[in-house]
Amino acid sequence: MDKNLLEIKNLTKRFYDSLVVNDLSFKIKGGETFGLLGPNGAGKTTTMRMIMNIILPDEGEILFNGIDRQKTKGLHFGYLPEERGLYPRAKVLDMLVYFGTLNNLSHRKAEVEAIRYLDRLGMIEFTDSRIDHLSKGMQQKIQFIAAFLHDPDVLILDEPFAGLDPINQVVLREILEEYRANKKILLISTHQMEQAERLCDHICLINNARVILDGKMSEIKRKFRENAYYIESDSDLSFLHEIEEISILEENKTAYKFTMIDKEIPVSTFFSRLKGRAKIRKFEIVEPSLHDIFINLIQEKSKV
Amino acid sequence: MRNLLKIACWEFKSRIRAQSFFFNTFVSPIIFTALIALPVFLFQYQPQIQTKLIGVIDLSGENLTSDLQDELNRYFHTDSRSPLYQILNVSPVNVTNYQNSLKELQEIEARRDSISALYNQIKSQRTFLYTNSQSANRDRQLVQSYEKMQLVREERELIEIELQRFKTVLDSVYKREAVKMADTLLISDNLDAYLVFNLDFARTGNVQYHSKNPGDFLEIERFERVLQGIITRHRILNDEIEPSKLRNWFRPIQIKKFQILQEGQKEWNFYIQLYGPLIAVFLLFMAVFSSSGYLFSSILQEKSNKVIEVLLSYASSAQIMGGKILGLGFLGLVQIFIWISITALIVKSGLFTNQEIDYLTLTNAFFFILYFCLGFLFYGAIFITFGSLSTNEYDTQQISQVLRMVAIFPALLSLMVLSDPESMLIRVLSYIPFLSPSFMIMRIPLSGALNKLDIILTIAIMVLSIIIVIIIAGKIFRTATLMQGKKVSISEVWRWLKHN
Ligand SMILES: Nc1ncnc2c1ncn2[C@@H]1O[C@H](COP(=O)(O)OP(=O)(O)OP(=O)(O)O)[C@@H](O)[C@H]1O
Ligand SMILES: [Mg+2]
Repeated sequence: MDKNLLEIKNLTKRFYDSLVVNDLSFKIKGGETFGLLGPNGAGKTTTMRMIMNIILPDEGEILFNGIDRQKTKGLHFGYLPEERGLYPRAKVLDMLVYFGTLNNLSHRKAEVEAIRYLDRLGMIEFTDSRIDHLSKGMQQKIQFIAAFLHDPDVLILDEPFAGLDPINQVVLREILEEYRANKKILLISTHQMEQAERLCDHICLINNARVILDGKMSEIKRKFRENAYYIESDSDLSFLHEIEEISILEENKTAYKFTMIDKEIPVSTFFSRLKGRAKIRKFEIVEPSLHDIFINLIQEKSKV
Repeated sequence: MRNLLKIACWEFKSRIRAQSFFFNTFVSPIIFTALIALPVFLFQYQPQIQTKLIGVIDLSGENLTSDLQDELNRYFHTDSRSPLYQILNVSPVNVTNYQNSLKELQEIEARRDSISALYNQIKSQRTFLYTNSQSANRDRQLVQSYEKMQLVREERELIEIELQRFKTVLDSVYKREAVKMADTLLISDNLDAYLVFNLDFARTGNVQYHSKNPGDFLEIERFERVLQGIITRHRILNDEIEPSKLRNWFRPIQIKKFQILQEGQKEWNFYIQLYGPLIAVFLLFMAVFSSSGYLFSSILQEKSNKVIEVLLSYASSAQIMGGKILGLGFLGLVQIFIWISITALIVKSGLFTNQEIDYLTLTNAFFFILYFCLGFLFYGAIFITFGSLSTNEYDTQQISQVLRMVAIFPALLSLMVLSDPESMLIRVLSYIPFLSPSFMIMRIPLSGALNKLDIILTIAIMVLSIIIVIIIAGKIFRTATLMQGKKVSISEVWRWLKHN
C-alpha cells in the first residue's frame, strides 16, 4: 500500500486547436492530499478527466504505480465531477447502489455502504426519495457518496466544497482525512484557498495550461515566507517605530506586523530591544496565506 | 461485461416503470389500429345502420314494386340482417283531386257501359230479326234498328275517345299527385328517396331517382343493377319464355375472393390480409423507434444532467453503449412479447376465422422478432451516434423525424407489396438497410412462400450495416458526449473517425 503513486507525465490536450493542458507533469503519493489549483479555464477539470480516462490525452502518460492508466484494470477510481450529475427521477438508494455495483461492489455491499454514508451525512431519511425532490446541497452529498461509496484507491474531487454548508464541509473533511490516513491517493481542485490550505499537503498551481508552482504545502509556505512577525499586546505599541532593526509592515496600535531589515540578525535582538516596555500577549511568525500566494503568482504571471 | 449488464439492467428497469412505456405498448397500438380500422368500418357499415324507405311511383303497369322488393331483399341487409331497403308504393288514391277525377272517369265508364249495353241490346235485337224471317214489318224494323245502331255506335265511339282522353288525364293527375305526395314524404324525411317509372318504362328503361342527397351513388348503382335484372326478366317474359327457364337463366352469382397459394386455395379478406401486415409493420416500427428513441433520449438526458461524466468515469464508452443497446433492446422485446401475447389471445378468442389470419404463425412471429432485433440495433446505433453529437433537443427532433419518415416509407408502399410481394422493385428496396426490416416484415406473411434467399440476404446486409454503424458510433460516442457548447461540424466528426 505504501507505494501508491500516480504519475502524470508531459500531459498535453488540445480542444479545437487551443492548448488546454500543456506538458503537465506532477506526482501524487498515497497518503497526501493533492490540491490542483488554478484560475478558471486553467485546465484542472480537463486534467482530472484525463486521469479518470474520460477523455484521452493527446500526448503524455498517466501512470498508476507504473502501469499505464488505460491498462489499469480492476482498480477503483472515485470521481466527483465538476458538473454534478444524477438521475433526477431515480431514488437515492437505487442510484447509489447502481453506481456502487458499476464499481464491482456486490449489490448487498453497495447497499450497506450507501446507507452507512447516508447516515453519516445525515441523509438517512431520504433513502427512498427521488433525487429531484432533494435540495441542491443534498444532491451534492449524494454525489459525494457516489464518488467514494466503493472505497476507491484514487479519489478525484473537482471542487468538492462548492455549495456545502460549514457543517457538511467538516464532515467531508473528516471523510477525506480517513482516506489520507489509508494512504490512498486524493486529488482535489478548489477555488477556496482556506480549504486548500487546511486540507492539502501538496499543491500544484496551474495557469494557462502550465504548472507554475508545484510542491509540498509546508515548503511552499517556507519559500514564500516574508520573514515577517506578528506581535500583539494589551498596551500601546507605538514605541516600536523607534527600533531601528525592524521595518513595520502593518500597524494597528496594539498589533504590529514587521520584518527584520537585516535577515541575518536573529529575532532575539528584537526582544532585547523591547526590554519589557510592553506586556506581550501574542508573538508569532507570519505564515503567508495560500490566498496571497495564489493571487501574487497569477498576477505576476499575467504581467509577464 | 459485468458493467455492460448492469447498465443494461438499470436502463431496462428505469424505463419499464416510465409512463411512456405503458403508452407505447398499449395506447399507441390501439390508437393506430383504430385509425386504420375506422375508415374501413365506416365505409362498410355506416350507410347500412337502418332500413331505408324507398318510394315507388309505378305508371308502367309492370307491377315492379314487389319484384323490386324481392330483389333488394336478396342482396342487401342491415347489420341486424333485416332488409336494407323497404319499398313503399306511393299512390294518391286517397287524394281528393284524384278521387274527383276518378269519379268522373267512373261516370264516363258508366256511360260507356250503358251505351255498350244498349248497343249490345240493339245487336241482339237485330240478330233476332235476322233469324225470325217471318215476323211482321221486319225490313222496316231492320232499317230502324240499323240507324239506331249507327247512332249508338257513334256515341259509343265518342265516349270511348273521351274515356281514353280522360284516362290520360287521370294518369297525369295520378302522376302529379303521386309526385307531390312523394316529395312531401321526402322533404319530411319519411322517405329516403323515390323512384318514378313512367308509362313507357318497359320500352325505354328510363327511371327517375329523386332524393334530397345528391351523392347517393351507392344507392343509384344498386337500383340500376337490380332494376336491370327485373326489366330484362319482364321483357323475356313478354316474349313468352317458360318461367322455369327464366329462373335458371337468372340464377344469381356470388363472388368470393381467393388468394392463390401453393398448398391450395383459401378464401381471404382484403382488409384483414392487408391491414394485418400493415399493423405488423407499424408495430415493428413503433417498437424499433420507441426503443431506439429511448436510447436517444437516455443519451440526451445523461448529457444534459451530466450523469454521463460519472458513467464514463466508471465504465468504458463501449460498455455504456452496449449496455444501453442491450437494456433498451430487451425492453423492446418485452413490448413485442406483450403484443404477441395479446395477438395470440385475440386469435384464441375466435374473433377472426382461422383462415383469414393464418399468417399469424410462430414462424412469422419469429421473423418479427428477428427483424425487430436487426432494425433496433441498426437504428439504435444511429440514434446513439446522433444523440451523442447533438447539443440540443431541437436538432435531435429533426433527425429522428427524418429517420422515422424513412422507416415508415415501406408502409406507404404496402399496396404494391400486397399486389406483388416478390416484384423486383420491392426486392431491391428490401436490400436497403433502412427499409429492410419493414419491407421484410410485410413481405414474409404476404408472399406465402418464404423467399429464403432474400431472408438470408437481408439478414446479412443488416448485420453488416449494424457492425459498420456500431463501429462508427463507438468512435464518435466518447468524444462527442463530452463536447460542450459548440455544434459539431462534419469535418470535426470526420477527424474523430480517422483519429480514434
Ligand atoms: N469538451 C471540451 N470541448 C472544448 N473545449 C473544452 C472542453 N473542455 C474544456 N474545454 C476548454 O478547455 C479550457 C480548460 O477547461 P477546464 O474545464 O479544464 O478548466 P478548469 O481549470 O476546470 O476551470 P474552472 O476553474 O472554471 O472549472 C477552457 O478554456 C475550456 O473552454
Ligand atoms: Mg473545472
